[in-house]
This record gives sequence, C-alpha cells and structure tokens, in this order.
Amino acid sequence: MIALARVELTRMRWRRAVIALLVLAIVIPVLIGVARVWSTRPLSEAQLTEFHSQVEDQIADCVEHPRQWGVRTKDPERIRARCTRNMSGWQPYRQPLSLASERNGGSGMGVVAVLTALLLLAGTTFVGHDWNSGSMSNQLLFESRRRRLWAAKALAVTGVAFALAAVVSTAYWLGLWAVMQARDLPVLDGSLADSLLYGLRGAGFAAAAALGGYALTMLGRSTVATVGVLFGVSVAGGIVLAVLGIGEQWQPQKNVAAIVKDGTTYYEQAGNDYAERDLPIWHGIGYYGVALVATVGASVVSFRLRDVP
Amino acid sequence: MTDAPTSHVIETSGLRKEFRSRRGLRVAVQDLDLAVPAGGVHGFLGPNGSGKTTTIRMLLGLAHATAGTMRLFGEPVPQRLPAVIDRVGAVVESPKFSPHFSGRQNLLLLSRSIGAPDSRVDTAVETVGLAGRDRDRYKSYSLGMKQRLAIAATLLKEPELLILDEPTNGLDPAGIREIRETIRGLGASGVTVLLSSHILAEVQQVCTSATIIGNGRMLASGPVDELVGASTTYRVDVPDPDAARRVLRESGFTVGDDLVVETDRPGDVTRSLGGAGIWLTGLTPVRRDLESVFLELTAGAELGGER
Repeated sequence: MIALARVELTRMRWRRAVIALLVLAIVIPVLIGVARVWSTRPLSEAQLTEFHSQVEDQIADCVEHPRQWGVRTKDPERIRARCTRNMSGWQPYRQPLSLASERNGGSGMGVVAVLTALLLLAGTTFVGHDWNSGSMSNQLLFESRRRRLWAAKALAVTGVAFALAAVVSTAYWLGLWAVMQARDLPVLDGSLADSLLYGLRGAGFAAAAALGGYALTMLGRSTVATVGVLFGVSVAGGIVLAVLGIGEQWQPQKNVAAIVKDGTTYYEQAGNDYAERDLPIWHGIGYYGVALVATVGASVVSFRLRDVP
Repeated sequence: MTDAPTSHVIETSGLRKEFRSRRGLRVAVQDLDLAVPAGGVHGFLGPNGSGKTTTIRMLLGLAHATAGTMRLFGEPVPQRLPAVIDRVGAVVESPKFSPHFSGRQNLLLLSRSIGAPDSRVDTAVETVGLAGRDRDRYKSYSLGMKQRLAIAATLLKEPELLILDEPTNGLDPAGIREIRETIRGLGASGVTVLLSSHILAEVQQVCTSATIIGNGRMLASGPVDELVGASTTYRVDVPDPDAARRVLRESGFTVGDDLVVETDRPGDVTRSLGGAGIWLTGLTPVRRDLESVFLELTAGAELGGER
C-alpha cells in the first residue's frame, strides 16, 4: 500500500497542473501575509510629519473660517485655542498587527479558504486526468485491487494536502508572530499556540476538502463535472438554505468557522429578538464529516462496481 | 466457480455481458465458452462490435460480467484476479497513457506499481524499438509509437499470458512485421498469446489456434488448420479444358466452371483423365483461407450484438 501510495506521489509530482495549484497554495497565503504585514505597519516619521502638517493646515483653515468649524467666538486668541483644542484629539492611527485579530475576522479564514479551494482543485485535477486520458484502466491492469488503488490515491492526495496546508499555515502564523516581535508588539500568552492550532485545524479542513474533491471526481470521473457540482452546490445551496429559512447554524461558512476557530457563535431568533448561541467544533465536524463520509463511501462503492472505460 | 481447474490458460463458461442504457438492453457477449490452451498464439476473431474487446475487458476485471464464469490460469476471476494479474500483460483497445508524461515516465509509474526494477523499463523500451524516443512526451508519439509503448508496458511484468487487442493498429508494414515476429517469438518461447484482431492474414500467419465470435457468440474454435479444413478442391490444368471437363463429369466428379474439382481422392482425377488420353499439366489443391471461413461464419452478423 505504501509503495503504491509512493507511486501516486510520483504521479502527482510529475503532473504540472497539480504542481501549479500547489505552488499557488503557497504563493497566495504568502501574498495575503505580506498584505497584512504591510497594512498594519507602524507609521513612519514621514507619515507622522505629513499628518502633523495636515493637522496644522486644518487648524489654519479653522482659524480662517471658524464658523465653518463650529467655532462661534470672535476673539482671535480664543478661536485659535478652540481650533487647536478641537483637533488635538486627532491622532494618526493604523491598526497594529495582532494574532488574535487575524484569527477572529482577520486574514486567518482567508488563508484557510484559499488553501481549501486550491487543494480541493488539486485533488480533483490529479485524478480527473487519470479518467480523461484513460490511463485508469491501464493502472488497473497492474493493480487490479480497486479499493487498494482508490486508497493509495486518496492517501497521496490527503497526505500532500495536509502536509502542504500545515506547513503553509504554520509558516503563516509564525511569520506574523515574528513580525510582531520585530515591531515590539505585545503577544498575549498562548496566542501563538492558539494561532498554530487554528492553522492546523484549517489544514485538516483543507486536507478533508482535497479528499472530498478526489472522491467526488472518482465518482463522477471528470474534473469538470466535479467543479460543476461544487459550484452548483455552493451557489444553489446557500439560496436553498436562505429560502427554506434554515438556521444560521446550518450555514456552511458558520460550520467552517466552528471547525477552524474551535467553536464559534451564531444568532438565533428568540421571540422578537436575536440571541447569541454557541456553535461547537463537533457541530462543524459532524456537518462536514457526514458529507465527506457519504461522498467517500459512494466513491469507493462506485469505483468497485462500475466498469472502467 | 467450483469447477476443477484445467490446463487452459483462459476459460470462460456461459459468459454474458449486458449493457443497459436509455435505449434499452444490449447484449454484447452471450453464452461464450472460450478455452485458450497454454502456449502458442491463439487468435480471437470477430467483426467490429462482436464482443471481443468486451470479453477481454471482463477477463481483466475492467468490466463486470452479467453472468457466467471466467478463469485465468485456473483461478476464478475477477475474484482471484489479483493473484494472477502479475502474470498477464494486456493491451486493451487503443493505448491509454498520460499524454503529458514521457513514454518512459508512463512505464516507470506502471513498473513501480508492481515493484519491478526501473531497469525493466529500459529492457521493454529496447525490445519494442522505442529507445531514443522514450523521453519524449507521449502526446507527441505517432499511433505506431503509442502501440509500441503499450506493448512495452505489457512486457514490464514478464508475462506468461499476453492479451493483445488489435496490437498492429496504426503500425507501418515494417512495424507490423516486427510486432508479428515478436508475437510469434513470444508464442514459441512458451508465453500464451491471445491475439484479438480482424486482420485475418495476420492471424493465419501467426496463430496456432483461433476462436471466431459473432454477435457475442462463439461461432468456431480450434486449431487454425482444422478451422480452415483439409483441402477438398483441386484446380485442374490441361491443354484442352473442355474435353477434360466432359471426361470428369462423365466420371462422376463435380466440376466448376474454372475446372475446379471437388474430391477427397485427387488420384482418381489423374486416373480418369489419363484413361481418356488427357495429360495433366497441373493439379493444384485449392486451400480455403481463414478469411473465407471467417466470412462464411460471420455472414449476416449484426454489429453490436443483440438488442
């Protein structure tokens, strides 16, 4: 089995479309990280100088046109004092980098979403090519145990997806932490560990998505069909849930958040008001786990029983 | 699947394959009893759509039989296919490889999946004459090169049974001859070859035995010589054909317009003509070939089996 999985890893390594997707799964999180680091950078001396200059301009404008600034007195000294006081609260501000902020509504979910989408596509593309080229039948002439072949490919897809997502996520959070250290920003106790666990849960979710994409493609025997089904589900699924008035706890994105954030909250109507409720991690795991197990089961059974072209 | 194993390398009994679609039921193979003895080259003949490829695909576990039993090396398949698949090399229909990989990469993946050393790829590539082009992408290959690569893939296992489905498709005359020699050589070396083809001259030249199917049913099977049959017609060459025809008819022979005589005793032809003072310049047996047998057996065969 391990030998067969190694063959599948070699097949994956030689498949350029898959490699391109894996490279993107590294590059895009790096770009997201760079963008976050850039947008949270401390203000430079030049920016501070420019800001102070702008404030001076505003004060001058206020002194020149006090009524426009709501200053009613006519005494020049008092006008200047009032204008200066009014604008003294103006401070240059840019949100500093924070691991907690990135986890809760920051870039963390973005990285998980990118990894999930790209690794799902990688799993789909990897095996879709076997069906498109017809080489699946050739492979079965060398390994006729279909379940074994299915499992070897699944192991390769899931293993690569998890390893890559875990490394990228870990590097992402360590990178942000290193930047915070370099900027002398305080890091709360346990925040780095929380971030790393967040990354690992995200990696697990991305790997499960890759497995799901692979299983669905083995079932439909076409990358295009799989992408079409996923697109249809993602578009129509949300609409159907909204039309049926299904509770927020059943929304896909809420359950992703529950898994990655180790639980989240949602709002539920209680009488005329909305009440905040907890959505635990097991809810998200169950939500996606059932779908994954059903897809994998159908895929294995189908691969075992259907004729191979 | 409780039958006792026999010396046949391939056996099927009552094999049936149905395809269901929106257009209804199509029977591709029905009640096929196939027996391929060990050693030699066995032809598997039939018109397009007669069920040859479907039968091969069922034997190799790529398609499921609707009914019937199959054995490879005495082992029931598909149940015991994993136990014997390493002894079987096969090319089914057109070669199927990953187009973006080189020929060599495709072979390496297959070779490694059975734990064979990479050196076996070199040997296989050399054997089929692809050395020098094996690092080119598969999609850049001509059809003939793709066929050669497919045959190279079968050799990776050093098989005892080789199943070749139209292996000379797309090959040039030299390539066909080369593959024919390879097949003949493999047959002579003890490898059993099942050669599916509709190029009858090829089968007659290479095969020791053959099975002919039509409409998914077996029409005839046995040694090629038996299928073709002992010659019972002779062409008579004489200076005066009209006189010879009259003498032979008076002697009770059935004589065709072109002075072809049906008899299993050619000596009597010589005696009758000699007795009438007509001396033969030639008495040539007219052999039936596999093509005429095939056409007789498959005449009227509907393509694609029964609906």
